Amino acid sequence: MLASSLNLDRLFNPSNLAMIGASAQAGKWGNIILINILKANFKGRVFPVNPKESSILGFPCFASIGDIPEPIDVALITTPAERVSALVDECGRKQVPFLVIVTSGFSEVSQDGMQLEAEIVAKARHYGIRLVGPNTMGLFGATASLHALMPMLMPLQGTVSMFSQSGNVGVQMMDYGQKEGVGFQKFVSSGNEGDLTCVDYLEYFARDEATRVVLGYIEGIDDGARFLKSAQAVAGRKPIIVMKGGRTGVGSRAAASHTGSMAGPIAINRGAFKQAGVVEVLSSLELIDCAKAFANYPIPKGNRVGIVTRGGGWGVITADACEEAGLIVPPLPADLIREIDQLLPDYWNRGNPIDLVATIRDDPMPTCLRLLAEWDGIDAIIALGAGFQSFNYQFSEAVQEPEELVSAIAFMTELFRRRGESPDTVLEGIAALVRSTGKPIISVSIGSDYAHRHYMERYHVVSFPTPERAVRVLKHMCEYDDFTGKIGGTLENQQSGECHGDH
Amino acid sequence: MEIIEKALHDGLTTLSEFQSKQILSVYGIPVTTEVAIDSIEALDVAIERIGYPLVLKGCSAQIAHKTEKGLIALDIRTREEAEAACQAMIAKMDDPTAQVLVQEMIKGQRELVVGMTRDPQFGPCVMFGLGGIFTEILRDVAFRVAPLTRYDAMELMQDIKGKKILEAVRGMAAVDREVLADILIAVGRIGLENESIQEIDINPLKIRGNQPVAVDALVVLQPKA
Repeated sequence: MLASSLNLDRLFNPSNLAMIGASAQAGKWGNIILINILKANFKGRVFPVNPKESSILGFPCFASIGDIPEPIDVALITTPAERVSALVDECGRKQVPFLVIVTSGFSEVSQDGMQLEAEIVAKARHYGIRLVGPNTMGLFGATASLHALMPMLMPLQGTVSMFSQSGNVGVQMMDYGQKEGVGFQKFVSSGNEGDLTCVDYLEYFARDEATRVVLGYIEGIDDGARFLKSAQAVAGRKPIIVMKGGRTGVGSRAAASHTGSMAGPIAINRGAFKQAGVVEVLSSLELIDCAKAFANYPIPKGNRVGIVTRGGGWGVITADACEEAGLIVPPLPADLIREIDQLLPDYWNRGNPIDLVATIRDDPMPTCLRLLAEWDGIDAIIALGAGFQSFNYQFSEAVQEPEELVSAIAFMTELFRRRGESPDTVLEGIAALVRSTGKPIISVSIGSDYAHRHYMERYHVVSFPTPERAVRVLKHMCEYDDFTGKIGGTLENQQSGECHGDH
Repeated sequence: MEIIEKALHDGLTTLSEFQSKQILSVYGIPVTTEVAIDSIEALDVAIERIGYPLVLKGCSAQIAHKTEKGLIALDIRTREEAEAACQAMIAKMDDPTAQVLVQEMIKGQRELVVGMTRDPQFGPCVMFGLGGIFTEILRDVAFRVAPLTRYDAMELMQDIKGKKILEAVRGMAAVDREVLADILIAVGRIGLENESIQEIDINPLKIRGNQPVAVDALVVLQPKA
């Protein structure tokens, strides 16, 4: 059982949203956020509130929230801090269930701000209002196409939901996601967490059926025990991928024991995350890389990796990276080698990684991938050089002569352009194999900035620009599989509170 | 627990090794057989009880680092050695309540560390890792939040780089992981059930044959506010 069953559906998917502090003045947050909401084609209705205006951006403006003739699900506030307290009263009388307080100048800046925040939170609780923030960069909800965000960005829609204790880190993730083809279902910048905390969002995302993967950027958790319990209850069913900021801070107190002196924030958090089955990543890019693979691919059932490569060196560094990450690159059995003998030149290396020795005519990659994927000796595949789409095939315009060279270049350019436009059979094959075998096949390809997004969106193939990124993601998937596999039946025991381990 | 109450009442922030191990024993953690003596006169009875070879340690709640202060005498095999070491220790300790611990000598080359500390976010956490001098040198340790399930305890053992130390290596038997798991779980329970215990070190936890034994221990107290 989860500790709470708080329903945040109306927060992320509101019908009617009031913007208190909406502004006609360009450059003000009350203007920027309103534009962000409107340009994303929000499916609900927006009611700007500002006593000095009669209409903003063509929408009728209300003097106070009390004047709006409709019930309001979410009121977003961007007014100066000193006005927020009175606005909470107005929202309370209007029976607004959720407030999103973008306004800053609270507990993050001063003692006075902390008092003001406590006062606002107390008032909100009195009215039964739940608060996001204050000092939040806003939220995003795919279902209602709600882009109530400070920065001008259009996240892709998908199945990943994220809470972030830093607004800009979270926003950066959505921006990365856009480049990598990772779509978001919900996002919230949790701000000062005066009321709703990252654990509330975690528990809600865990229950949310539209969310497949939960991402989190965490700096500090007030209630570590509740976080652990909630994460533990979810992690076996739905992956939780977290990056912890503030890892390098020195221990907060001088310790009298060895244990105390070893207990830095890195070590304790790492242990807690492992205990809860939370996937911990160490870089922001890795967070999105993992989100992409966990949201779109099956989890491997073990840590044995097959590698297929269009070039020797690429295979070597991938195999090294696998071994260093604790993944196994098993040798190929004789019968599989005999089958691949039919496809590759005599001198092929007869091992894993399988080096295709740069054969492109009658591309052997799809068949090799199929033979490897169908072999029960591996659990996942890395395909190096799978995608040719969006390949950067550019020539210097300075080459003007001789005529024969110029026309040969033109011919090649046209060839690659056509290849880019026609369906990529290798990627199509990979997607089909992932479906039929249940094994993740991660592509590593060179290409333009948006190649990997294209592979994801058009072919549903998880692809990265470097082998190291592919291996790191695979390692996390294997660790997650290890957790879900081992925890199996004992998960229920943990949830029922039978935690003392007496046997 | 009475030992804790009394120590807090006396304004102490640590328990002696002898007292620390008494607390571990209450929670079923295997500790060395030992006798604490106040004077040379009690030495013979203690030796008879423990038997050679034995270890003598200066035991005072005020002294946490015995090795650095020359308060450990190992592998004592005669009455003469024992008496000389005992007298030297009593002279070194400037504490009227100090005792000398007469302790069985645990054979075994493998030293582990088990500990407990309180994290501001997660509460009592259990540490496991390589012990003895390697604790500080290699810092090969990992943590879990209490309470630990048996699964958590088993995973914790696998979470250090030097995890092979628990396997059958160089003619030594594989460590009894079930007993080790009991110890890890118990240390977490001590943290959960005793608010005034701030930190615990069991270092070294030596492996005798395949069985872990707490050879030295330190309990750090949190004075009541």
